[in-house]
Amino acid sequence: MNISIIGAATTKFGELWEVSPRQLAREAMFGVLADANIEKKKVQALFVANMLAGPLGGQQHLGPFFAEELGLHVPAFTIEGACASGGLAVHAAVNALRSGQYETVIVLGVEKMTDHKPEDVAAALMGAGSDEERLSGATFPGLYAMLARSHVEKFGTTVEELAAVSVKNHFHASLNGYAQFHNILTIDDVMRSSKVADPLKLLECSPISDGAAALIITSAKRGIRILASEVATDTLGVAQRKSLVELSATKRASTRAYQKAGIAPKDIDVAEVHDCFTIAEILAMEDLGFYKKGKAASAIMKRETQLGTAKRLVVNPSGGLKGCGHPVAATGVKQIVEIVQQLRRSAGKRQVKGARVGLAQNVGGSGATAVIHILKL
Amino acid sequence: MISPVKIWRNQKKVAGLVGKTGKIVAFTRVRVPPSDFMSQAPYPVAVIELADGTRITAQLVDWEEKHLKTGQEVQTVIRKVFETGDGVIPYGIKVKPL
Repeated sequence: MNISIIGAATTKFGELWEVSPRQLAREAMFGVLADANIEKKKVQALFVANMLAGPLGGQQHLGPFFAEELGLHVPAFTIEGACASGGLAVHAAVNALRSGQYETVIVLGVEKMTDHKPEDVAAALMGAGSDEERLSGATFPGLYAMLARSHVEKFGTTVEELAAVSVKNHFHASLNGYAQFHNILTIDDVMRSSKVADPLKLLECSPISDGAAALIITSAKRGIRILASEVATDTLGVAQRKSLVELSATKRASTRAYQKAGIAPKDIDVAEVHDCFTIAEILAMEDLGFYKKGKAASAIMKRETQLGTAKRLVVNPSGGLKGCGHPVAATGVKQIVEIVQQLRRSAGKRQVKGARVGLAQNVGGSGATAVIHILKL
Repeated sequence: MISPVKIWRNQKKVAGLVGKTGKIVAFTRVRVPPSDFMSQAPYPVAVIELADGTRITAQLVDWEEKHLKTGQEVQTVIRKVFETGDGVIPYGIKVKPL
């Protein structure tokens, strides 16, 4: 059975104080219906990705909440997998279509974070970690900082190479009208920003953001094809893993995805990867098989994955989580929206020329969930 | 606030981890803490490998700058996890340099 994406839309990402979660969801859902050019009565189910509406907003039961906003009382589900909620919701939707239960569904990823104090958001996000991590006072920047330090000590990765990830992604975001940031950064800017969790600095961390993104996925029509949709999990806590220089879930999910799609890493033209922190993009480049362990950081520094200077593979043309913003459960959906726009050749100034095959890697927590999608024109 | 029942249930696990030695495998210094840890920041957090090979994540206490390195030997101790405004005070495992 062919599963295709026939609609893709995102709201602006950023500090959207004047907009409610309801309005964000509405804009993304009606945006995606207009993009697919189908009547809403064709939509048979709604898959909502969200992490923080419960702990921060006091609102759960988001399936019917947003279906009502759409004006349809269709079957509706909420899927939570921390920052991988969006990718997981797409995976669940794909499986529902494969089962034959539905022919056409909407996947909505939505998150409203900036209404709340940063300490409260940091505490709520730690819900994605282990009990032991919460009691240690760790934060997500702190957990990824330990992965960064391990990478630095094992492979000689430099702090400038880490900073280069943010520089590239801000450059890409400057070309994306929907992105949270449009300012160009230099390595020096990143190096001079305040430390959040040593060695990670403020400009190495994805921001706290609001935003929504939506897709229409169908088995009834031909669009951008989903060749593979794979999920893998790992221990919730970082300490319990064998290696601190890889995300094993990314490796396992992507190996299966490449196999099922009949595609090798070298065939990928464009990828959206989960750069919640600079080190995360370096780990992704290695764990997805684009570079050998310890080799990705210097390649990113040499702009091998940047628009205009890349030989082939361009990484995070949307600006990634760092530049485009990271409304956590919306991110995994937005990554696929970006890949769809790239494969349709409708990405404007950030278009990757000749892109035919794209990959999205969405990570939950410090790597306890990884979701991989491979899409083809 | 952590439920007093949960704190009570956790005591068994805490007791089993007291007085063990290990070494730092990875560390960071948290400068932007979660709300409950505001009064303690900045503080180091580390992945510790205990002598039996078990790995845990724990906050470092009674430390000096020279202790912040991988391979540093540490010992598990019982400490107040964080200040609570009301309710039961949670105690848990932290590590101090040897």
